[in-house]
Amino acid sequence: MLGRRGARGRGLMTVPAALIYVGLMVVPVGYAVYYSFTEYNGIPSQTPQWVGLENYTRIFTDPTGDMHSSLWVTGIIAVVGAFGVNVIALGLALLLRRTTPFTAFARAVMFYPHVLSALIVGFLWQAILGPQGAVNNLLTGSGRSALPFLSDPGWALATMIAVIVWAQLGVQLVLYLAGLQAVPADLQEAATLDGAGKAQVFQHVTWPALAPTVTVTIVTSVLSLLKVYEVVLGLTNGGPGDATQTWAYEILAVSFANNKVGLACAQAVLLIVVAGILSFTIIALRKRAEEGAEALS
Amino acid sequence: MNRSGSRTVRSRATARNVAIALLSVAMLVPLYIVVVNAFKPQQEILLSPLGLDPATASTQYLQDAWTNPNFPVVSGYAVTLLLVVACNVVAIGASVPTAYVIARTPTVLFRVLLLFFVAGMFIPAQIILVPAIFVLKALHLMGTLPGLVLFMSSTMIPFTLFIFTGYIRMLPRSLDEAAAIDGASQQRVLWRIVFPLMKPIVATAFILNALSAWNDFVSPQLILGPGSSFRTITTGVYAAVSSYTTNYEIVFPTLLLAVVPILLIFVLMQRHVMSGLSAGAVKG
Repeated sequence: MLGRRGARGRGLMTVPAALIYVGLMVVPVGYAVYYSFTEYNGIPSQTPQWVGLENYTRIFTDPTGDMHSSLWVTGIIAVVGAFGVNVIALGLALLLRRTTPFTAFARAVMFYPHVLSALIVGFLWQAILGPQGAVNNLLTGSGRSALPFLSDPGWALATMIAVIVWAQLGVQLVLYLAGLQAVPADLQEAATLDGAGKAQVFQHVTWPALAPTVTVTIVTSVLSLLKVYEVVLGLTNGGPGDATQTWAYEILAVSFANNKVGLACAQAVLLIVVAGILSFTIIALRKRAEEGAEALS
Repeated sequence: MNRSGSRTVRSRATARNVAIALLSVAMLVPLYIVVVNAFKPQQEILLSPLGLDPATASTQYLQDAWTNPNFPVVSGYAVTLLLVVACNVVAIGASVPTAYVIARTPTVLFRVLLLFFVAGMFIPAQIILVPAIFVLKALHLMGTLPGLVLFMSSTMIPFTLFIFTGYIRMLPRSLDEAAAIDGASQQRVLWRIVFPLMKPIVATAFILNALSAWNDFVSPQLILGPGSSFRTITTGVYAAVSSYTTNYEIVFPTLLLAVVPILLIFVLMQRHVMSGLSAGAVKG
């Protein structure tokens, strides 16, 4: 019906999106891969020097001993943060499941940190939990000793994860609430009538039916936790020492800021590869759980 | 037995409501701290972080934050709003025709094209920014607003295109086929018939893209550069606060100026923001 002119018209309609996307996302990925095999200081008059795998060996052997800690920090944030965000969000979703004016208000309250910029969230909590911050002034004012929320390496990482959880739980809460609506109500009723307790209904009906939602929430939270940067900038600026330096911080505020473009690009490529592999692994692993959910409905 | 049963149900409901109320208060405490401390001198912020003494409360600190040259509030908001609108126009305007073609052409080629675009959803924007800077330099768009808009739009296109394609696939094909038989051109069918039907999904994309543009810090900071005459809200706050993080007379009023408008917008549009997000996720 459409013929050749139609086909060409169709092709043309994809051009604007393709141009922007290819030009500013696909080509940069190509650049990143190329620069990752070079030593380059980013100055236009200089040409990148081909160094092969040197940047990657540097990441893996870490001769100056400053990069592996960022890998650990990022890994801990991704695992502990994703676990914390999802457990709390699911708990809140079960608590706020029924729609009343009160729960609608509470949902909005749980969600509001998400509309704030991560940088501002960082500054906000730094003013509350810093050595001179509101909480420590309250503690010392009441005769207790101050707590090293942001000044002790271990505390600082824990504080940062808590702040990230505070900022991100709203998104996952909304996703869980949407997922809970899809749980077949008649099944839950039938299970209750058969004498199942609340925990049993959750374990055998609600949780399996939530499987597709859980896949989405795990993938989205892990992806967003792998690239944590702005909250670090506001809250700790990577400190104390390098206790809260994430991989994204390493790329942008260490390598790139010091004109090590080749190294920054190798680190970026590594993050993209890890993010991709992790996403696909999680989706593949969740397949079985999701098939269980389909069998339920 | 029946009576005690209904009593435990009721006390359970009460316990639940108390828990919800306590958690809500806990979530709001940080906001309360920003609000009360924006009106107090440093000494008082340090001595009583939670109180507000009407005798010494003053709007002086807010006025100082308003006139702080590091964070030009009015122009910061203007630039940020411009980014929100421009990025959405570019991202949505480019995604609609592409999504239409992909959704209406069930060939392998276009299915692969969709996957090619969707792959971008797994690439973190701030990570790809470093090499993107070199592309922008080559195009002479570094340090310019058009360069910034194009980069931010490119990071929005994968998700926007993805949810649009899913939505158009649900629209009945007979609609545009009938119009095509009546002699309407493809562009006309798309913009006059299909696009108006996409209103809900366009609203979803607009809200989610607007949030990410509004809150983006890394892209404007690196593309415009810290010395740029254009500041967004986030780069302005960074310039005003990052070197003075313990000067709370600056920190709290600046943060208040940065969060109040977006929170007001959120309160007004709360239902749309949250349902848009779950709609996007269900499609995604």
